Amino acid sequence: MSETPDPTEDVRRLYEDAEKRTADAMEELVKKDAFGELLARSTENILAVTRIGNDAVDLIVRNLRLAGRRDITSLSRQLARTEDKLEQVLQEVERLQEQLSESERSSASNGTSRRRTTKSSSSK
Amino acid sequence: MNAVEQLVRAPVAAVEFANLLLTRDDAKIGVTPKDVVWTHRKTTLYRYRSTRRTHALPVLLVFALINRPEIFDLRSGNSFVEYLLEEGYDVFLLDWGVPGDEDADMGIDNYVCDELPWGMRETLRASGQDELSLLGWCIGGSLVAMHAALEPGGAARNLVLLTTPVDTTGGTYTSWVGRDSFNPEFVTEVLPSVPGAGVDFANKMMKPVTNFWTTYRTLWQSVLNGEAKREAYQSMAKWVADNPPFPGRAYNQWITWMYKENRLVKGTLRLRGRRVDLRNIDQNTLVVTAGADHIAPRPGTLPLLDLVSSEDVTHLDRPGGHIGLMAGSKARDEIWPDIAEWLEERSAR
Repeated sequence: MSETPDPTEDVRRLYEDAEKRTADAMEELVKKDAFGELLARSTENILAVTRIGNDAVDLIVRNLRLAGRRDITSLSRQLARTEDKLEQVLQEVERLQEQLSESERSSASNGTSRRRTTKSSSSK
Repeated sequence: MNAVEQLVRAPVAAVEFANLLLTRDDAKIGVTPKDVVWTHRKTTLYRYRSTRRTHALPVLLVFALINRPEIFDLRSGNSFVEYLLEEGYDVFLLDWGVPGDEDADMGIDNYVCDELPWGMRETLRASGQDELSLLGWCIGGSLVAMHAALEPGGAARNLVLLTTPVDTTGGTYTSWVGRDSFNPEFVTEVLPSVPGAGVDFANKMMKPVTNFWTTYRTLWQSVLNGEAKREAYQSMAKWVADNPPFPGRAYNQWITWMYKENRLVKGTLRLRGRRVDLRNIDQNTLVVTAGADHIAPRPGTLPLLDLVSSEDVTHLDRPGGHIGLMAGSKARDEIWPDIAEWLEERSAR
């Protein structure tokens, strides 16, 4: 005996099929040149509006004699640069330390071999 | 479940569905214990705690500049870091941190020529070794490849490159940002650090219906059926929603060099005056691609296999998406063991 078809299941299957088709169609759509152009222009517009907004807020904050985002960024940037310099100094110190210990090692080994040479020549 | 049963269950499911979405950020991700080894600006090098290190070579994990590296250690029981530690590796993670406007001067050259080699230096120092394995994912893979191309015969013995963009020809992203009308300089002039949400929106727009609708529809369906995996959904959703800003200079360079001029595969990319020639890569190389990757499509990674001059090159291709490949529920059985085995054969002193 065949099973009675479940209408809910049929509706679900039909919906999922429609959704998949829409997803595939949308993926094809976003690959189109025209969509890319639309996205690029929209991004530019949003950024232009953002810039106007940022400039206006910045003007208000500056006129209120308050530290704005730019001031805080400037301070943070100075800290970052100081950290860069500190890292470079640390690296230089480490390089010099290695150089120093290397030269100490080589002078110690030279001294040992010289002493050995002296000893052997005096025993002659 | 028939229509009447679904209707009866719907109010409870609606509350649970809302709760899943609203408490997403309470999910615990990246919880494997780790120690800070070194920091510079926003970059931090971590070493994961382990009492069972059996392989000599440490593994340094490098993630992309978009999203956070917690994807390597998503949740207990589904963590690549945890898996590597169980396999006896000494695991380090280079975390680029969350850049702010003050880091707008950070460029690709800073990451490839400074942060990465400095992180490698500290990894070697902490582990007491003179060689290591580098594992890069997505943009992290490109950064690792650039570094390896600049430093052949360097401290990296093994390279693992996961879903790494190398050749951007013909990609959807290229058709969006590679065109003349898209000006990354204007973007970074207005936004010194490009908001992560913007980058995330663009990534999601590649599969708009899947990302903006199907994800939530299937979640609703699984809640309605009483099959929702709370921890798995919330941990991944939290990670997906955590988008750090992209430093302006790096963004500008990445878009221009990779998508407008496709310099990496052409061999015309120069960092601090030095040419990044992928043919210089002579390390043991494992390239992993994902069949359904729409962010770094497989054809964009495959040229790497022909370009590198390594004698030991392995390619693993698996079904799955850009992230699902390594962090999905099947990753533990389908890809992690292969990576661990590949590393094991090349990690002896």
